[in-house]
Amino acid sequence: MKKLMALLLALMMTLSLVACGGGESEGSADAPASNVEAGLLRVAALYDITTMDVAQTTDNYMVPMNIFDRLFEVEVQKDGSTEIVGSLCESYSVSDDGLTYTFKLRDGVVFSNGSGLEASDVQYTFERLLTAGGVNDDIPLEVLGAEELKSGAADTLAGFKVTSDVDFSITLAAPNAGFIAELTGPAMSIVDRETMAEVQNFGIACEDTIGTGPYKITEWVVNDHYTLEYNDKYWGEAPSVKKMVVSIIPDASTQNLMYQNGELDILDLEYLDSAIVESTYKTAYADRIISGSRVGLTYLAMNANHEYLSDVKVRKAVQMAVDVDTIVASVYAGDAIVENGIIPTGVWGHNDQLQRPAYSVENAKKLLADAGYAEGEVKFELAMDSSSSSNTQLVYQLIQQQLKDAGILVEIKPYDESSWLDLRKSGEMDAFIANWTMDYNDPANIMYTFYGSAEKTKLRSLNYADEEIMARVAAASGITDDAERMAEYQALEKKIVEEDAAWVPLLGNMHLFALGERVESFVPYWAGYSNFYAKDVQLG
Amino acid sequence: MTEQNTFRSVLCRLCRENKLAVFSAGVILLFVVLAILAPVLTPYGYDEIVNAANRLAPPSAEHWMGTDEVGRDVLTRMLYGSRISLLVGIVPTVVSMLAGAVLGILAGYLGGRVDSIIMRLADIMLAFPSMLLAMVIMYTLGDGIINIFLALALVNWASVARIVRAETLKLREAEYVEAARSIGVGRFTIMRRHILPNCIPSLIVLFTLNIPSAILSESSLSFLGLGIQKPMASWGLMVNTGRQYLYTNPWLSLAPSVAIMLIVLAFNFLGDGLRDVLDPHLKKQ
Amino acid sequence: MSNIIRRIGQTVVILLGVALLIFIMLRIIPGNAIVTMMGEHANAEAIERMTAELGLDQPFYVQFWRYITGVFSGDLGTSYSLNRPVGELIATSFPNTARLAIAAALFAWVLGIVCGIIAAVRKNGILDHLFMGVSLLGVSVPVFMVAMVLQYLLAYKLDLFPISSGNAGAIGYVLPAIALGWNSAGSIARLTRSTLAEVLQEDYIDTARAKGLRRLPVITRHALRNAVLPVITMMAVQLSSLLSGAVICETVFSINGIGRLAVQAIEGRDIPLLQGTILFSTALVILGNLVADCLYSLLDPRIRKEV
Repeated sequence: MKKLMALLLALMMTLSLVACGGGESEGSADAPASNVEAGLLRVAALYDITTMDVAQTTDNYMVPMNIFDRLFEVEVQKDGSTEIVGSLCESYSVSDDGLTYTFKLRDGVVFSNGSGLEASDVQYTFERLLTAGGVNDDIPLEVLGAEELKSGAADTLAGFKVTSDVDFSITLAAPNAGFIAELTGPAMSIVDRETMAEVQNFGIACEDTIGTGPYKITEWVVNDHYTLEYNDKYWGEAPSVKKMVVSIIPDASTQNLMYQNGELDILDLEYLDSAIVESTYKTAYADRIISGSRVGLTYLAMNANHEYLSDVKVRKAVQMAVDVDTIVASVYAGDAIVENGIIPTGVWGHNDQLQRPAYSVENAKKLLADAGYAEGEVKFELAMDSSSSSNTQLVYQLIQQQLKDAGILVEIKPYDESSWLDLRKSGEMDAFIANWTMDYNDPANIMYTFYGSAEKTKLRSLNYADEEIMARVAAASGITDDAERMAEYQALEKKIVEEDAAWVPLLGNMHLFALGERVESFVPYWAGYSNFYAKDVQLG
Repeated sequence: MTEQNTFRSVLCRLCRENKLAVFSAGVILLFVVLAILAPVLTPYGYDEIVNAANRLAPPSAEHWMGTDEVGRDVLTRMLYGSRISLLVGIVPTVVSMLAGAVLGILAGYLGGRVDSIIMRLADIMLAFPSMLLAMVIMYTLGDGIINIFLALALVNWASVARIVRAETLKLREAEYVEAARSIGVGRFTIMRRHILPNCIPSLIVLFTLNIPSAILSESSLSFLGLGIQKPMASWGLMVNTGRQYLYTNPWLSLAPSVAIMLIVLAFNFLGDGLRDVLDPHLKKQ
Repeated sequence: MSNIIRRIGQTVVILLGVALLIFIMLRIIPGNAIVTMMGEHANAEAIERMTAELGLDQPFYVQFWRYITGVFSGDLGTSYSLNRPVGELIATSFPNTARLAIAAALFAWVLGIVCGIIAAVRKNGILDHLFMGVSLLGVSVPVFMVAMVLQYLLAYKLDLFPISSGNAGAIGYVLPAIALGWNSAGSIARLTRSTLAEVLQEDYIDTARAKGLRRLPVITRHALRNAVLPVITMMAVQLSSLLSGAVICETVFSINGIGRLAVQAIEGRDIPLLQGTILFSTALVILGNLVADCLYSLLDPRIRKEV
């Protein structure tokens, strides 16, 4: 029996060693700020990325934004306005017909493995997006001959001409005034042809994922954290942040506590309730908050085929019954602006003259009564993506209550993300509320995506049916005169929002970040992504 | 000795021996009354946004426990939440008790292939960590209270079946069963008339002990966002949404936590007391 | 020995049954995981291609055959939501769960056994009532409540521990281990008390006492050794509930463990990952029970004789 006890004791001791031995060498994240390695930036993300390859994802952009460069970038000015500047591209010119762009690359740029940047790398990047079976081929598809390359009818991209190591030209199939703006999107990150030919696991293995950007990826422990470190071969100015660790913390309230305990240097406040932001951050941390505008908006889409929502009078009543001011004040504590159209504030071509119908429960009721509906007769289901942020979920609940006041009965039905997207795709969803964040600063991005074709309207704007409008939206991107193009977009916007009442614009919220004591300044990405450029962070 | 007499004598002994259990029964009764009278006790609806501008308000005369993140009355949601907890405690437990008892008796009495099929199935169910099994079932069935009932019933029947089977194996050899068999009483009649009634004391004890674990399971599932969905009110879900506000409005998550704890504690005390009175040897299992 | 072989055979059958059950349960689902995987902006064509690539357009029995043969060759499939082999994901997260569970078990055993002994010795005394009341409280408190209160008080208010355990090393596991072990400590204390109390009434204890042995040695040398066996069985049973509770603890304290992986798999409709995590955890429990059974029969001479 003594042996048994000894055995048990020994077992316990070994176990306790195993239990404690695990992570001691990793060091404590709870260390006071002064003990944190100089040049280290600690941030948290709710979800891990699935890939570092922009051909395979439309939202995991944190790593690509920092380890790759694009031909152009959007630079945020001191006054908050944005400007497109050359990045890997030094200069460019456009032909008079708006079809051919001639580019010149920056000299002497090398990838982090030493391989030089050449025009053929850009060509490879375009061709790869078309042929590698990826998800981000919208932009290269505009190039002349892209369809042929994609379908296999051609081996090369006809519209792409390399004239020297640094010179090349791109000919589009149709003019698109927003083309340069599109090239700033993370999807257009430039990769190296030579490296790609050698590596097996591009986008997954750190050593295989090579770019020209200010950082390189050095470690990725899936679902736990990933580390970016300064790329000493970077062509631009050396950034203040030498190393960035992104921890995966799937819970906003934990991130919040971690920030307050000094375990995070930048906290994304997007997923925290504004009431907490208001009561904690605007008091105790008031001078630590910065705001990036969110170039995008929250909207309510209604199914044009729905029993009641197909009636424009019902849609107008919904527009009237929604009190956006209250939502902005209550859910966002004022950190949002009311949007009245489709093209959000801050986007080229935004129309600030648009008016929304005045909020009035009586008028909404009257409109419904005139249209012959009894009180409480109009009902529909508001489908909610249960992974949406708590603020968005609050918006759902408030709108449900507001519509109820106007005699419109709405049931909020939560779906998990994939079922929700499936339902939207089927065109059977009654209505939903969602956010759209601009991919690039051009009205075409939102107008075309939502109203450009029957396929798009089925998914995005739930069966918006006016084919003439769709044709005009699709044609608008070909108008080479900017003023004319914007006027056309604004006319279309007015028709869709005011006349057809097909879209209930809600609001654009500020994207707030809280900065830790170690951070001196930070410029968020112009479109208000949660992802950002680490080089735009200055450590104190 | 009739069933009723036994029941009465059990109650008397319980009252004499275990005051705490009786008190707990009182607490449970109080929760039941509150749950039933919820619509009468509060002027608000459980999903009614009383005042959107006044969300996350501290306790006041109108809102005794303040308002939640959307501006609903927290006390109202607590009251309605008790309905879910009690239902989730009782319905799946009853279902799993019935299924477990029937299968356990069948397995124990019939033996052979029936026994091995049922018990292998039970072994498989028992092999899963219960929370993970409940999660998978919820994933498959989708959200909703009926599915929670089903999930918890599926998770719990196996342990009941195992205990009942063991009891049946003992009873099968009892003299009076032998006697019944020898005078040609049918198998199913024996199971119904002679074996089932004798399993009832253990079943009652199991019943009161399984209720709190079902309540805890539901609250854990809802806490993870895999159980009851908004805008319904479940205590676990309230803790889940209230967690964000733990240090600004702690009552939002603490009140439902304490409620869960109280009701589970009450059922555990009652179950303990009943076990001591009804079935002392069950204690060891 | 034949008993042990029979147990192993049973275990294999149960493992197969578990795998089949999980597989069947996860095929009756709505929602297209591929869409979640590729993001909202992905086009229909790319989604279709990916579906074919992953074999999701194949009939059920083909998928099942692929899966089962895959499992035997150590291939659990590829996670949709994390885009990695499931085996690799489990291999990274399991050590964290193991650390948490072991630390929690240690906490539970030490606290539970000590309290149980004291309560048994002072049966019906104040300490006994106090400990048993507290232990019932331990059994009745939801894991998430303990976790939240600990996180709030000790990590947030007093700043003694890190909020998130992820990269914090050993100190990060203290709070999650207490939260997870709390429930088990309660039931272990109750079990220790009842078995020890029973043993303490046996004649040989009285004899030992009559021989003049002091109280403590009697308890440790004579009584405890007879009370320890049921507690060992209990530990094997606890493995299952520890894994259940770990789901909550890992979520609250942001530990990259199996439980969190399972929750993520559900949120992302990630069937291969969910399948893999559940199968792995369940296999762990089954094997744990097998080992406990074998140990038990080796340790307890009475059972050895029966065999």
